[in-house]
Amino acid sequence: MSLNIYGQQLDSRFIIGSALYPSPLVMKQAILASGSQVVTLSLKRQNPTDQSGLQIWRYLQEIVTEVNGHLLPNTAGCRTAKEAVTLAKMSREIFKTDWLKLEVIGDDYNLQPDPIELLNAAEQLITEGFNVLPYCTDDLVLCQRLYDLGCQVIMPWASPIGTGKGLMNPYNLETIRLRLPHATLILDAGIGKPSDACLAMEMGYDGILLNSAVALADNPVLMAKAFSQALQAGEQGYVAGIMQQRQTAHPSTPTLDTPFWHKN
Amino acid sequence: MNIHINGKAYSLGGHTPINVSSALTLHFIEPQQSTFAVALNGDFVGKSDYDTTSLNNGDSLDVLLPIQGG
Repeated sequence: MSLNIYGQQLDSRFIIGSALYPSPLVMKQAILASGSQVVTLSLKRQNPTDQSGLQIWRYLQEIVTEVNGHLLPNTAGCRTAKEAVTLAKMSREIFKTDWLKLEVIGDDYNLQPDPIELLNAAEQLITEGFNVLPYCTDDLVLCQRLYDLGCQVIMPWASPIGTGKGLMNPYNLETIRLRLPHATLILDAGIGKPSDACLAMEMGYDGILLNSAVALADNPVLMAKAFSQALQAGEQGYVAGIMQQRQTAHPSTPTLDTPFWHKN
Repeated sequence: MNIHINGKAYSLGGHTPINVSSALTLHFIEPQQSTFAVALNGDFVGKSDYDTTSLNNGDSLDVLLPIQGG
């Protein structure tokens, strides 16, 4: 089974970020270990004498080519729709892709997306021909509006960026899955441990996007593998069909003809 | 004429506007790199428009390059 992103079928359901790794080599090893075919990156002002950003960019190009993958530029740092649209156009010129992880932040404390600016930006960008992957809160109506605008992929948060708190509101996330059965849903941000990813996949989510949980692990390469396996386990569990919870205990061993049966 | 490039102030002699291509020579010390994108006063300027887009007094140019991101 594959992950469908705007018509592109990907073998891996894992989208991984390229930031915060202890070194470029560890970043490469972790990305390769994750099996991911989509890597996020960004644009920023840089000192023209500092070539480190360019070196990372070339390194990422090599990695993406090696895994036959895709780059997913983001609009991190944008606070308004106008900023996001401008940054999106700049990204498209450099990275030669219509894919865009749309981020419009509304609060500096928890980096919560601004739903109003996000919708506004998504609408403009879709008109401009972008394939928008909006990073949003776990608000059902917001997700519905984004989907109605034409966002085929919706990326609600698990919890605020970089917190590692996992799925703060499983009910909301399950409801989004239930109400948007045809959207590609990717859980983005706040995932801390492999079981978080597994839980989302068991809910029927189509994929996971994360960065900090791998990059900040003591062993990022091993953690990337762990997440990859957790995603597969969760997906297979969902496809296999999880049993209904029951209120009362039921013996799994047949009780008929049990010896020493208590007759009283 | 005063302009800003990535927040850094540049004072240019005279009042004649310069185009984006000329402004970029102020920013890049090394021979110009190809992997960057430009916004003028918050609006995207495509590479094909560098020669025909002018900066006036007080304008602000942003020159962005790829970086790691999540």
